[in-house]
Amino acid sequence: MPAIETTALTKRFGDVLAVDELDLTVREGEIFGFLGPNGAGKSTTINMLLDFHRPTSGSATVLGLDAQDEIGEIRERVGVLPEGLELYDRLTAREHLQLCVEMKDAPDEPMAVLERVGLAEEADRKAGGFSTGMSQRLALGMALVGDPDLIILDEPSSGLDPNGIQHMRELLREEAADGTTVFFSSHILSEVEAVCDRVGIMSQGELVTVDTIDNLRERSGDAGEVELTVETVPNDLGLKVMDDVSDVEVDGDEIRAYCHNGEAKMNVIRHVDRAATVTNVVATETSLEELFNKYTGGGRDGLDDDARELAEEREAEAEVTA
Amino acid sequence: MSLQAVVKKDFLDVRRAKLVWGVGLLYTLFAVLSFWGIGSSSDTDIYNALFSMAGIGVLIIPLVALVAAYLSVAGERESGNLKFLLSYPNSRRDVVLGKFIARAVVVTVSIVVAFVVGLGMAAYYFPSVQLPDFAAFVGVTLLYAVSYVAIAVGISAATSSRSRAMGLAIGSWFVLNVFWNFLPIQPATVIEFVADKLGTSVSDNFKDLVWSLSPTGAYFNAIQPIFPERITGGSGAGTNAFYLQPEFMFVILAFWIVAPLALGYWRFERADLG
Repeated sequence: MPAIETTALTKRFGDVLAVDELDLTVREGEIFGFLGPNGAGKSTTINMLLDFHRPTSGSATVLGLDAQDEIGEIRERVGVLPEGLELYDRLTAREHLQLCVEMKDAPDEPMAVLERVGLAEEADRKAGGFSTGMSQRLALGMALVGDPDLIILDEPSSGLDPNGIQHMRELLREEAADGTTVFFSSHILSEVEAVCDRVGIMSQGELVTVDTIDNLRERSGDAGEVELTVETVPNDLGLKVMDDVSDVEVDGDEIRAYCHNGEAKMNVIRHVDRAATVTNVVATETSLEELFNKYTGGGRDGLDDDARELAEEREAEAEVTA
Repeated sequence: MSLQAVVKKDFLDVRRAKLVWGVGLLYTLFAVLSFWGIGSSSDTDIYNALFSMAGIGVLIIPLVALVAAYLSVAGERESGNLKFLLSYPNSRRDVVLGKFIARAVVVTVSIVVAFVVGLGMAAYYFPSVQLPDFAAFVGVTLLYAVSYVAIAVGISAATSSRSRAMGLAIGSWFVLNVFWNFLPIQPATVIEFVADKLGTSVSDNFKDLVWSLSPTGAYFNAIQPIFPERITGGSGAGTNAFYLQPEFMFVILAFWIVAPLALGYWRFERADLG
């Protein structure tokens, strides 16, 4: 049974199609990263999973339960860190956790949870005086109460310093090691890369891809680029016709070749070495940022050429499978 | 279980809300002034003081109740707190009912405090204190206050932002209180005027009924039997229409508790939150 499954889930706000016929499956026990730029429909999707928003059409199940009709039972078994959660300014950290424990009828000890998220010393301070990072830690602790089967976190790292992010990752890994499914959204890739088994990328209300990070890299075509500095650039390079080289740029004494795989990079280096005196070589992998931009068209600025190409490829693929 | 949790959470939060307590104490302040002023003059008794409390009450109590509750749901909805409650096993119904119960208790406490102070002063100033009448008066006053808490929570549940909730709260205070029962131009006289222009007329009973349909009108009529005639001027007597009897006033007050909550919940249940 999937931890989360949506079928043609759609949400329309007036003229805006926030989520467009989303089919998403999150497997039990995995850490799933839900990626996309701001406004891509991530939070709207999560809001529908938690019955904060009612779908325009389509349906969603969480832990096999209907996200609308059986939301009560879902709330008993899910831990949530909602987007833009505001704590109660007038309640202390400990009081927040006591409430969570009572509402979930959970055996947790509030102090033990506070220690896990590194807030033990602030237990009796009112949340109104907390920094964003401290609030986020407390909210994370609150999501962990009651040993949930599924943890849903909407932008959990916003406001956390690098240390806090590292700490959060460890907590999420611990939870996942216990068999808990973790589903979290983010617009920051580096976070997702470090902990996620699989990622799904949303763009303009649609899920543009779901895969592991490694497969994404491979599927995006380019394994990276090789950059060579030479004394003089030969007139006829002949690189473009080589296998698995997608593009070549020359800029002054630098030659940059985009390659589909590592072997092609090596061939480029050997080829240029025969034709010119190479003074420096830099080979890089496609960064996740570039990958991300490819899939999402660089955010709200519209689709760039790469993204359009990818979208067309995807459509072609879909037709083949259909 | 979860209804209790919402109520408890709200208490924890509200007990530190200074504005709510500040407004709540306002009625106590007026209680002190009433009992002091009336207690110090000659030829008065506790009924004069209580009647004065009613007169002040219809202006102050709706304000206390509205301030205590108009943000109860909408404020949390706008700030995002509500997602916390609804991420746990609490239903939207728990949220509306829990808020209503918690805020009703807060307002009740602040009014009871005012009357406990008043009772102490009454015992000092007046030769005798008619406890059953005093208790009955407090009881009806609390019912009146709770009806305004229900109106405020209903408004709060039906609106998505603090500013709208505030606008509607002020509007309801003005329409249901000032306009309905105190202005020379009010629903009863408007209906009379329109009927007159149409060449027909309305009975006094009907006008009295219209006047009684607001929480404040119902409250005033419901407390009549508690007072001796020399204070109320014997108004309201002399008609047999069931809908003008004091008992029927409780039906109207009950309506003002149930209907706003039901409407607010109905809107809230269908809303997209956050």
